[in-house]
Amino acid sequence: MADELKTPLLDELEKGPWPSFVTDIKSMAETKEMPRDLLRQLEKSYEDKRGYWKHGGLVGVMGYGGGVIGRYSALPEEFPGVSHFHTVRVNQPSGWFYTSDAMREIIDIWDAHGSGLYNMHGSTGDMVLLGTRTEELEPTFQALTEKGWDLGGSGSDLRTPSNCVGPARCENACYDTMEMAYQLTHNYQDELHRPMFNYKFKIKMSGCPNDCTASIARSDMAVIGIWKDDIKVDKEEFAKYIDDGFNVKEFVVEKCPTQCISVEGKEISIDNSNCVKCMHCINRMPKALSVGDEKGFAINIGAKAPIVEGALFAQSIIPFMQIKDGDYAGLYDLIERIWEFWDEHGMARERIGEFIERVSLATFLEGVGLEPLPTMVKAPRDNPYIFYEEYFADEDAGEGEE
Amino acid sequence: MGDISVDQLAEDCYAIVAENAGQKKVKAGDLQKAMAAKYGDQIGRADVKAAIKQLMDSGRTVYGYFGGSSIELPHKEAAENQ
Amino acid sequence: MATEAKRVTDIGPPHFEKFLHPMIKENFGKWKYHESLAPGVLAHTGPAGTIFSVRMSSARLVSSNFLRMVCDLADKYADGYFRFTSRNNVEFLLANKDNIEPLKKEITDKGFLVGGTNNAISNVVHTQGWVHCHSAATDASGLVKVVMDELAEYFTSEKLPAKLRVAVACCLNMCGAVHASDIAILGLHRTPPRIDNKTLPNLCEIPTTVASCPNNAIRPTSIEGKTTVKVDEDKCMYCGNCFTVCPAMPLADPLNDGVSIWVGGKISNARSEPMFTKLAVPYIPNNPPRWPEVTSTVKQIVEVYAANAKPFERVGEWINRIGWPKFFDLTGIEFTKYHLDDFRHAGTTYRRSVQNRY
Repeated sequence: MADELKTPLLDELEKGPWPSFVTDIKSMAETKEMPRDLLRQLEKSYEDKRGYWKHGGLVGVMGYGGGVIGRYSALPEEFPGVSHFHTVRVNQPSGWFYTSDAMREIIDIWDAHGSGLYNMHGSTGDMVLLGTRTEELEPTFQALTEKGWDLGGSGSDLRTPSNCVGPARCENACYDTMEMAYQLTHNYQDELHRPMFNYKFKIKMSGCPNDCTASIARSDMAVIGIWKDDIKVDKEEFAKYIDDGFNVKEFVVEKCPTQCISVEGKEISIDNSNCVKCMHCINRMPKALSVGDEKGFAINIGAKAPIVEGALFAQSIIPFMQIKDGDYAGLYDLIERIWEFWDEHGMARERIGEFIERVSLATFLEGVGLEPLPTMVKAPRDNPYIFYEEYFADEDAGEGEE
Repeated sequence: MGDISVDQLAEDCYAIVAENAGQKKVKAGDLQKAMAAKYGDQIGRADVKAAIKQLMDSGRTVYGYFGGSSIELPHKEAAENQ
Repeated sequence: MATEAKRVTDIGPPHFEKFLHPMIKENFGKWKYHESLAPGVLAHTGPAGTIFSVRMSSARLVSSNFLRMVCDLADKYADGYFRFTSRNNVEFLLANKDNIEPLKKEITDKGFLVGGTNNAISNVVHTQGWVHCHSAATDASGLVKVVMDELAEYFTSEKLPAKLRVAVACCLNMCGAVHASDIAILGLHRTPPRIDNKTLPNLCEIPTTVASCPNNAIRPTSIEGKTTVKVDEDKCMYCGNCFTVCPAMPLADPLNDGVSIWVGGKISNARSEPMFTKLAVPYIPNNPPRWPEVTSTVKQIVEVYAANAKPFERVGEWINRIGWPKFFDLTGIEFTKYHLDDFRHAGTTYRRSVQNRY
């Protein structure tokens, strides 16, 4: 601990206008050994152009199969401060809203039990507390739960659901993403903490098709806000945009993917029956245009990154659904039907998107009890290899219909 | 829930984990399928979940992870540094 | 192990309501519109009034010291309320408009940037890299730092044709949304795993390891009476899936590991449907600490895009309009055989028309 911290390569990353993680970690290294040896090991990685971490698989807090990622230095003698460097995932509050008081409680806990380093936040949405020793895991967990925090997911379980700001700070929110994330997370604590699936399952909630949580690319179940009725127009505000010289023709009318907007003078008319709710016009003219009144959400399923069978965007399965009077039973029922069918017929390490590709969408829909809809496809099939399930038997052939 | 107790299921599950220790990583889904095959309609998924939770909370088994989560007997981790 | 009676589990996260600014609580679900006051400053208005959001850059990999500074700034200017965005920026939530300028000044005085809104390059979504990951082919935090140093002016301004999303992932696992970003930097291995036959039989489950390979390149074999595996190197595409299930098959190779660059993905449904990123540069060797070849290529792509795209055209939409041949022309990036897909749905990427531009 006494030897001088020499990191000439990393020092190069203290230059330039973007915030430097090296400067920040160095500030912690003044008082703690873990960030100090992290920098020393990282300097070696920069010299040698390779990482020096071993993946652990067994560490965790008692009774939980998720929330802790085991990590050990491959060079523990050289860098004893990071011989253990486990990650603790802490379930973030909906929309990543904090107060300074609550955040300071977390900082105090992590200063006492860990490295004092974090990712704010991880890709799934959790607060990621980076780096602690095995024997500190249980005390960290107990300190967190005392202050009302719990761990997130990891492994073959439900990962921490995450959501956009939604109704907390956005006029486009078509459903309460904040409350839904809270409800789902609490309803599925068992699935979050005790891995029981074939593989991970991520749920992300975005309040409108702008999809600020990237749910359609990054979650096994994307819940995306949508409305069914007409885009609302504030005529006076629309006229003001025109008066202010806003180029509505080039920036809005010509950008509409279904050409359903026309503008005459200071009047806009929208063919709402042909609108695909892409959000572009509303994004451009937030004071004049807004989402309709009949609001709810669509559900797409099966997004993932390429490993293993190639990247997938989430596939449409529910074009419109609503939560009425805070009753989530219908949504829970759908989620559980999906999990059950995937559990029963999926393979180990097979994400649900890959599962649907393997068994076919038709089989999946039948398995979870959903009807096929034209909204689920870009186009019907273009090959004739149809597996017909119904045949006329010979003796019935001449009899015609009943 | 039929006549099979969670304790009984926990013992059955533990036996499978112990039998496979060091050879095959047993997953929660494997235990669900094994118990369903053994007891059929007498038990439900929630019963097996409760049995696994009991094994975990008592420390008789632990969760492991290598690309997927498994249920294992407590043992020293190969990657662990002293 | 500590198992006192008071140990509690499964309490879930706290309810969000106690973290919401009173102005947000009053306007919850009733917001009318928002305005952009300046790069990094948004104003959302509802019946109860306006909340001002000031967005600050963050390295994502941060320390207690950084977070304490954020808390102090929030106390001083935002009644103690702040949040993080889905792209790892910090947002201070102010009820008092007069606090905006002093807060911005204090943020910049402390060496951070205000920006990332609208037609800007927002913060980079990224992964752990050499800082913390066992399978990383490059460092993520370092790449983000050097790329954003180069592109900082696009964070603090809104002068691009549309928003531009950059992501960095340090291996093909892509923990960082690389497959749907305007510009993505992806670390990759280029050589097959090296098998540690000493430890593999004890560490790994043979059937799981064999099954992990998407190309069926892994076979069981026996060495000195112990079952291990061998890899058909011609079939290996260096995805690292085997290493995830079997730690005795490391891929790290300092000589060959490096970075690829991808372009044209998007996530939002605005105008066009979501799009995957496509390969621009197949390989650039790791050149830490500042990866100059990567930063100059990314900057080149951004500048060509900025000069040629129409207003509100994302990178992918721009390329779809002008065509891929012109993209390679304009950026000067070489088109190689590696750009031709040969995986699962390869045929869907082959041109089957004569709609060429001459």
